[in-house]
Amino acid sequence: MIRTVKLTKIFGTEEVETTALNAINFEVKKGEFVAVMGPSGCGKSTLMNIIGLLDSPNSGECYFDGVDVARYKESQRTELRKGNIGFIFQSFNLIDELNVYENVELPLLALKTPGAERKRIVESLLEELKISHRKKHFPKQLSGGQQQRVAIARALVTKPKLILADEPTGNLDSANGEQVMQILEKLNIEGTTIVIVTHSAEHASRAHRIVNLFDGHIITEQFGKKFTTTKLFAEPVFIQEN
Amino acid sequence: MIKQFFTLAIRNILKDKIFSFINFTNLIIGFATFILVTLIINEELSWDKKNENYDRIYRLQLFMDEPASTTQHTWSVTAALSRHDLVNLPEIEKIALLHDVSDNNMEGVFLSPDKKNQFLVRYGYFSDQTIFVILSFKFLEGDIHQALTQPNTIVLSKSLADKLFPSEKAIGKLVYGENKVHFTVTGVYADFPSNSSLNPQYLVPMISFAAISNFKDYESDYWSYAFYTYVLLKPNTNPANVDKQIYGALKNYRKEHHPYLRPLSMLHLNPYFHKDYWVFLTIISATALFILILSSINYINLQTANATTRLREIGIKKSVGFSKKMLLQQFVGESILTSFISGVLGIYLAQLSLPLFNKIIGSVVLTSVFDSWSLLGFILVVTLITGLLSGLYPAYVIASYNPVKALKQKFVQDDVNGFSLKKALIVIQFSISLFLLIVSFIVYKQTNYMLTMNMGYNHNNLMYANITTYKVGSFEPVRDRLLKHPEIEDACYSNYIPYILPGGDDLNWEGSKSDDKVFVRISKVSYDYVTTFKMQMACGRNFSRDYADKNSCLINETATRIFNWKDPIGKRMKVFGKDYTVVGVMKDYYPYSPHNAIEPHLFRLMADSVGLTGLYTVRFAPGKEQQAMQIVKDEFERSYPEDVAQFRDYEHLINIDLGNKGWESFRNITIFLAVLSIIISSIGLFGLVMFYAKRKLKEIGLRKVFGFSLGSLYFTMTSGFITYILLSVLLAWPAGYWVYKNLPGATRYPLQIWEFLLATAITLLVAILTISFQVMKASLVDPAQILKDE
Repeated sequence: MIRTVKLTKIFGTEEVETTALNAINFEVKKGEFVAVMGPSGCGKSTLMNIIGLLDSPNSGECYFDGVDVARYKESQRTELRKGNIGFIFQSFNLIDELNVYENVELPLLALKTPGAERKRIVESLLEELKISHRKKHFPKQLSGGQQQRVAIARALVTKPKLILADEPTGNLDSANGEQVMQILEKLNIEGTTIVIVTHSAEHASRAHRIVNLFDGHIITEQFGKKFTTTKLFAEPVFIQEN
Repeated sequence: MIKQFFTLAIRNILKDKIFSFINFTNLIIGFATFILVTLIINEELSWDKKNENYDRIYRLQLFMDEPASTTQHTWSVTAALSRHDLVNLPEIEKIALLHDVSDNNMEGVFLSPDKKNQFLVRYGYFSDQTIFVILSFKFLEGDIHQALTQPNTIVLSKSLADKLFPSEKAIGKLVYGENKVHFTVTGVYADFPSNSSLNPQYLVPMISFAAISNFKDYESDYWSYAFYTYVLLKPNTNPANVDKQIYGALKNYRKEHHPYLRPLSMLHLNPYFHKDYWVFLTIISATALFILILSSINYINLQTANATTRLREIGIKKSVGFSKKMLLQQFVGESILTSFISGVLGIYLAQLSLPLFNKIIGSVVLTSVFDSWSLLGFILVVTLITGLLSGLYPAYVIASYNPVKALKQKFVQDDVNGFSLKKALIVIQFSISLFLLIVSFIVYKQTNYMLTMNMGYNHNNLMYANITTYKVGSFEPVRDRLLKHPEIEDACYSNYIPYILPGGDDLNWEGSKSDDKVFVRISKVSYDYVTTFKMQMACGRNFSRDYADKNSCLINETATRIFNWKDPIGKRMKVFGKDYTVVGVMKDYYPYSPHNAIEPHLFRLMADSVGLTGLYTVRFAPGKEQQAMQIVKDEFERSYPEDVAQFRDYEHLINIDLGNKGWESFRNITIFLAVLSIIISSIGLFGLVMFYAKRKLKEIGLRKVFGFSLGSLYFTMTSGFITYILLSVLLAWPAGYWVYKNLPGATRYPLQIWEFLLATAITLLVAILTISFQVMKASLVDPAQILKDE
């Protein structure tokens, strides 16, 4: 589903340049659950932003469903993102002025889904995630775990092909964090491709594959507990060297 | 989507109440001001529009092609033009001839229902019956088709009828004029609205004019200019066709004079092709527009600054697939909604402010914002356009945010060293406020200058009265008796007094070519006119009882300049067919108002009262007005028992002068608008500094931790804004100077630098005070709290 070839991203001012990603080759197959790990500043979020089409690289290729989107303009990336990619953030990133129902409904508005259908989809999803009793509440009235479930609902409401979760359990206690991971696992079993950034080795181990980044390079890849060669790969994945 | 948009917009408004209050107050005041000034403009442009035939009504005027003359256009024409020249033209449907009943004074004549209770009434006319076809009259009593068809009849306005005959019908009653003539009331009509260029209080038939005025052959006289002529053209007629046909109608009499038609739509604003009124209206309109622009700039700056609080929302929406276009629509839509709500509230604020605003304006009375639905519609369209235009830039900035940075809620940094639209807007904002302040000071000084300037004669301690009497040759004995009282210093008699502009004639002068003609004002005055008004002689002598001055005349300095006389004493002039010799030159004085240029003026001697009507002026000793008034009243009642006389303070004329009232209104309006612009600028600056302080919170906290003083904090926060204000001087000062150079009128006060300096100082002071408040607030925040939040 996603493939990058020699992907490079440099941030900088006139005086200082920082290479966030250094010619990395990264791939996520359809239906995979991939975890990305690494210390702070290694380029994890940058990688997520680029494969999530929120940002564009300085050089290299980035394929989304076989199409190189590296040089896409923002409007093209927005159009592609719409309905295809869902985001879950560490700090939930709910809009404070909208209630639970309105936050979840947001991606459907971007898709111009008719009102009746929006209502049906949102209410069904809220029911499924056991948050429908709070649908008129505002984010400030919810606990962390509840807010993250709303964020997950928002990410799922358009049935996207890809979910990108940037430290989705980072601001949650262990119980809520566990709940979130269970939801993600369930989604993956149902066929959604998931890429998650996490500092938690335990959470990462639930993925099919764990990719470790350091200073903008992929230094190791390893299999998680979910790995089975028969289901996903014709050949074993080899460790990539710099 | 629309529902979500409205929901989000309202919730954002309610979320940050202080910001919303600042934002709305800014726009509401801006709109309210714009609306009030629009009402003035609308009122000024609406004159005479109540007439059904508005587009076809014209007034006959004269163009006097005499380059040396100051006056080149006049409404005053001969009756013969209408009776002989206009009447046969195929383009003309109706003509009405009118003559002002009180043609030599500004206050009118005395009317009475019983010869005892006297009412001084202005704006009465002898008139043809056709006036009822040309202008729209609404008769409340009597038959409009019969009115003014019989001699010695009168039709009254409703308010005059109520004054003369309270609580009873006026039809059939008698009205006495100056206790000399009487008229029978044959009609009462509804009062004309105040915005009417011709607003008669009463009309008497033109067929009575000859008998009452003793001007028997006025209808065939091409020399006497004393009449108004109103014309109704046939539909779809080009007035230029009429102008072409009558252009040379006076070629056998005064060949430089050319009649033409002036449309009713121009009679209030620009009857004589002077730009004065347009300059007033343009300055006021531009000011109102500037204030609206100021509000809009504030809104743009505030919204752009406030965008940082919407970063998360923007990042999320972009991440879920909202396009830039959708975000633009949302934020422009919010701007239009805010603007529309502010516009509606502005309308109500304007309505509530009307009584105060009417007091400020003085001369124009605005009734209600809701009087005209088309005006309201116009205002609402303006609010929508304002919202659209003001919202575009902030919406563009917001919609262009990088979604990654927006999600991290990283503030957008201004371009520190380079140009940015925001900086430009701040400079423009201050430029507008400074410019408006400068203009208000200039207009204030100009008005005071005109109202207090030396008119060239002493108009204090004077009283005057217009008297209509059959007792010819009676004034000198009255004067002698008055002067026996120590309270009376001097007295004179004249057909015009300095404040009332007399008529005149085209004259040529000794040494001129036969074709050289200049329009010269001509007055008839008694011996003591110059001394009573304490005028100055430039050379020669005044009229004197020791000389045979029957054929002597005085002229003013302007006349000697135009005639190019180095030594005017002894020069000769022909006036109305008689030869006069100049015996003295008066120093120029301002007749009527310093707003008008001084024209050449000639004075002939009137040894004693000769005509039916004249003006008596008495100078009393300072502080003795009450006693002098009683003495004069007693003397005139004894000397003229059959006649009506009401002496008034001469200052009263100056106070009721519409020209002065116009300047006072103009001054009051510009001061009012300048104060509002300062308020609006302060609101905008308050909001901007508030955001600036929030963004600099970390820096402020660190500076406090490192021991920086309040003063250095203050300098950090104010230095940027003060630079903008000083830059605004480069725009505002030249613009203010341009206004000064284009002030209407013949007289301009000597410009000084202090108007500009004071305006700049006030703008700086207001800015410093506004910023100081935010600095004090920021300096009181605990640095530990700031840094902990960071």
